[in-house]
Amino acid sequence: MLAVFVFIFTMIFAPVMAQAGAPAAKAAVKAAAKDPIRLGAIWDYAGPCYMLSESAVQGIKIAVDEINAKGGIMGRKIDLIVRDTEMKVDVGARETKDLILREKVNFLIGPCSSGVALAVQVVHAESKVLRITCMANTEGQVVDKFTPYVAQVVPNTYMEAVAATRFMNKKYPAAKKFCTIAPDYEYGRREEAAFAEEIKKLVPDSEILYQAWPKPGEKDFTSFITAIMAQKPDAVHSSLFGGDLVAFTKQAAPYGFFEKIPFIALYDLPVFIALGADAPEGIMAFGRGCFFMDPNPKMMEFVDKYRKARGAYPDSWAVQAYDSVYLIKAAVEKAKSSDTEKVITAMEGITLDSLRGKFTIRPLDHMGSVPCYQGIIAKDPNYPFKVWKDIVRVPGDQVWRSEEGVKEVWKKTGVTR
Amino acid sequence: MSFDVIFNQFLSGIARGALLFLVASGLSLTFGVLRVLNFAHGSLYMLGAFLSYSIWKWLLIPVYGFYVATILSALVIAGIGLLIEYTILRRLYARGWPEQLLATYALILIITDIVKWFWGGEFLSIPRPEPFTKAVFLFGFPFPSYNFFIIILGLVLVFFLWWLVYKTRLGDIIRAAAHDRDMVSALGIPIPWLFTSIFVLGAFIAGLSGAVTAPYGAIALGMDIEIIVECFAVVVIGGMGSLPGTLLGSFIVGQVYSFGIMYKPELALAFIFMVMAIVLVIRPWGIFGRPER
Amino acid sequence: MEANKTDKKSSWLKSGWWLILLIAAGIAAPHVISEFYLLILGEALIMSLFALSFNLLFGHMGQLPFGQAAFYGLGGYGIAMLMTKFQLNFWLSFLAGIGLAALAGLIIGIFCVRLRGIYFSILTLAFGQLIFVIIYKWHDFTGGDDGIQGVFPPEFLKTPISYYYFVLLVFCIAAFILWRITNSPFGYILKAMRENSERTEFLGIPIARYQLTAFVISAAFAGLAGALWAPFYRSVAPSTLMWIKSGEPVMATILGGAGLFFGPVLGTFIITFFHAYILGFTHFWPIIMGTLILIVIFFLPGGILGFIKEKLDNRKKRDRQS
Repeated sequence: MLAVFVFIFTMIFAPVMAQAGAPAAKAAVKAAAKDPIRLGAIWDYAGPCYMLSESAVQGIKIAVDEINAKGGIMGRKIDLIVRDTEMKVDVGARETKDLILREKVNFLIGPCSSGVALAVQVVHAESKVLRITCMANTEGQVVDKFTPYVAQVVPNTYMEAVAATRFMNKKYPAAKKFCTIAPDYEYGRREEAAFAEEIKKLVPDSEILYQAWPKPGEKDFTSFITAIMAQKPDAVHSSLFGGDLVAFTKQAAPYGFFEKIPFIALYDLPVFIALGADAPEGIMAFGRGCFFMDPNPKMMEFVDKYRKARGAYPDSWAVQAYDSVYLIKAAVEKAKSSDTEKVITAMEGITLDSLRGKFTIRPLDHMGSVPCYQGIIAKDPNYPFKVWKDIVRVPGDQVWRSEEGVKEVWKKTGVTR
Repeated sequence: MSFDVIFNQFLSGIARGALLFLVASGLSLTFGVLRVLNFAHGSLYMLGAFLSYSIWKWLLIPVYGFYVATILSALVIAGIGLLIEYTILRRLYARGWPEQLLATYALILIITDIVKWFWGGEFLSIPRPEPFTKAVFLFGFPFPSYNFFIIILGLVLVFFLWWLVYKTRLGDIIRAAAHDRDMVSALGIPIPWLFTSIFVLGAFIAGLSGAVTAPYGAIALGMDIEIIVECFAVVVIGGMGSLPGTLLGSFIVGQVYSFGIMYKPELALAFIFMVMAIVLVIRPWGIFGRPER
Repeated sequence: MEANKTDKKSSWLKSGWWLILLIAAGIAAPHVISEFYLLILGEALIMSLFALSFNLLFGHMGQLPFGQAAFYGLGGYGIAMLMTKFQLNFWLSFLAGIGLAALAGLIIGIFCVRLRGIYFSILTLAFGQLIFVIIYKWHDFTGGDDGIQGVFPPEFLKTPISYYYFVLLVFCIAAFILWRITNSPFGYILKAMRENSERTEFLGIPIARYQLTAFVISAAFAGLAGALWAPFYRSVAPSTLMWIKSGEPVMATILGGAGLFFGPVLGTFIITFFHAYILGFTHFWPIIMGTLILIVIFFLPGGILGFIKEKLDNRKKRDRQS
């Protein structure tokens, strides 16, 4: 019986002993200069984030393989370690700790969910590890809860909404009465708040008649659709995306929604692939950098590489993740070191020639002046899915909060910089 | 608020309720007879949706492809239900209900990963089938004909189940077994066979409702957890194991959600749980439920 | 001789030397294992407390609550909100978090203890979800789906090692208290209620009052676990209150064994370490966990400790007979 007990005891602690790194009570050993650069990818392999995470990690892998094939960063290879947060905040925090303490990563990229991102941020900021965020785009990361250990290469909720609002206003300048529909969580609320602020600036006598707040993952939008149509708005702004947008589009179409009401939402590649012929042509769309939004030579080269590696077209998530790796490379090369503090200093003000054109990391808040895209949904004979036409590319520095604006928010949230 | 707006919301509520009824009826049936609350019912629903997509894609039959895929998918899910009942649940009838509950909870985990494994995390979509692609006009309002299809399907299911439970000999046995399992067994009726049939029927309904939901919205991971929570609300409010109760519960949840959306969209979900909690507090067995012995 | 050997072994077990060994191992841990595994150990201790609180109602009282995550979450949110929004000090917030969970346990318990069996389970699930939805939706007050970040323990507890010792200390004290409760007259009455509640009632025991007390105690300890958790990773989020989270102590208890006091602890340790280990290789954890549960349900009905105890008892019986 004792044997059984000891057996169980050992079973639990054997992995512990076997994996024992430096005992916690001793100090950490410094990494040697020619050691590989360890990159931690922390992503959410659950729910709606599953597919986006897979895409992003694929983009990262292609970038890492490319860089390693050319000898790495300053002769140091990149080691990529991927971890799953299960889209849970507690698992995310723990896996981040794993990456930092056990895997000893130099940098982090990810995650998908804004909620998880905020929790992860507390952890890595305390441990002084730099993270590039290329998907979770809540302003909370670089504005409200700013830490120097974050840099953002995805347009934040404010930028994206402002750019989309201006696009919509240009197309429909007479529109005064609006409705919104957005998933009821951080991302949706922020985008709609930014929309409300911007539309008031552009059209002072504008009114928001009704705001629909379906829960993320909502499968049945009928009641929201009828409620919106009952208001007879001039236009509708939406930050629905992914599966939610697919469901909404299918359910709204029979009501004649898209014929009657100008509409703008995050129509990007995964949505087009899923909807197929159901994608509503002539409707406005906004997005973050899928290949058809910015078919420059670098981008198209990436498309070929991605198709070879994954057998599919890359979406905005893969593009932004790819850019993140190259941002790290550029900053490390400029700093001539992988030491976090030096890299952060080098990164401030750096300009990256990315798949989406050139953008700069603003020193104040580490926000990249990344472009926001808008367009009109249309068919294209070259592709088996619908894409955009009449594309507009707005550089980030035309739509982001001014430095004064950022500092004002910081005064309210207690950030000192 | 004008009549037309209210009527429209009412109709959306009916459509939603019909969808819920389709799913919840299977859960209620299983609980009523087997006294097993099948947590994995939502997982079978999700599996049915994904499976119907794959079958539909593979078949590539124009127009009828969807219907064929739906039936086939439901049959496969029924088969899976048979497998589950025979290998897992049957051995647990002798044990307490906690073990049965936990086994179905474990099944949620297993089925979710199976879906992840075979279909990845992609969200999928089937276009609405002919002839339900456009809208019909009621009092001048467009109402998607596919929603009508769902409502009619729901009604068909109601009548089928009602006929089954109240008008057939099998139905008599079912109701007797729900009342007093041992007595029925003592009368020489093979209880295991009966339980298996009911569970398989419940699984069939789950698969069918999953397949029917596919053209309605998007097929995605997380469908299982979402739907099972709403199903709980439906059967709790209406009364577990009661067919009219499930119908009433679906109706109530559909309308609460629909009108909640109109007035306070952020709280629509909370309203449902409030109603659920209130019912449980006042009448734990639900409106049409019977007190547990 | 055979009989003496077995007796000596079981008395060794009873005298609790193994417990002292484990505690010594716990104290020595930071000097032996890496920081990361220390964190996992801390996590396991906190979740074990959560599982122990659950087992008060399940193993000892015979009911299956499926909404314990709400109390766990309230404990965490209590401490988080008081510290970040109201700048209250750590210790007061900590106690307040436990108090909040206990209060919620009282209010919800009043309704739940009127029910038995599956209806009890479903009502606890419903209330748990209701609290989750309220916290999730009331984003102006609770931060909604963002959760609350920046929950820092006092300076002397900030390092991983010191916070670990804090967790270990609180765990030992709390587990001891719970153990005393289950072995007190109150605990025996709970067991009696589990075995035959009608008879207990006929003996004049006010069942509802005892059930309610047990419910509140369980909620308080769940809240304690939650209040320990928040400063551990410095944040809380609504996902810790979902009914899926309520399933975790259930699974841990089933695995370890509901019949013995330390069953939930063993189960939690196994799951926590295994989970952390597996996530390093694959994200298909749910299917592994689900299969494990099914295996335990079928082949180890009393959990691991129950299985061991059975073997022990059988051995004793055989020895006596020989």
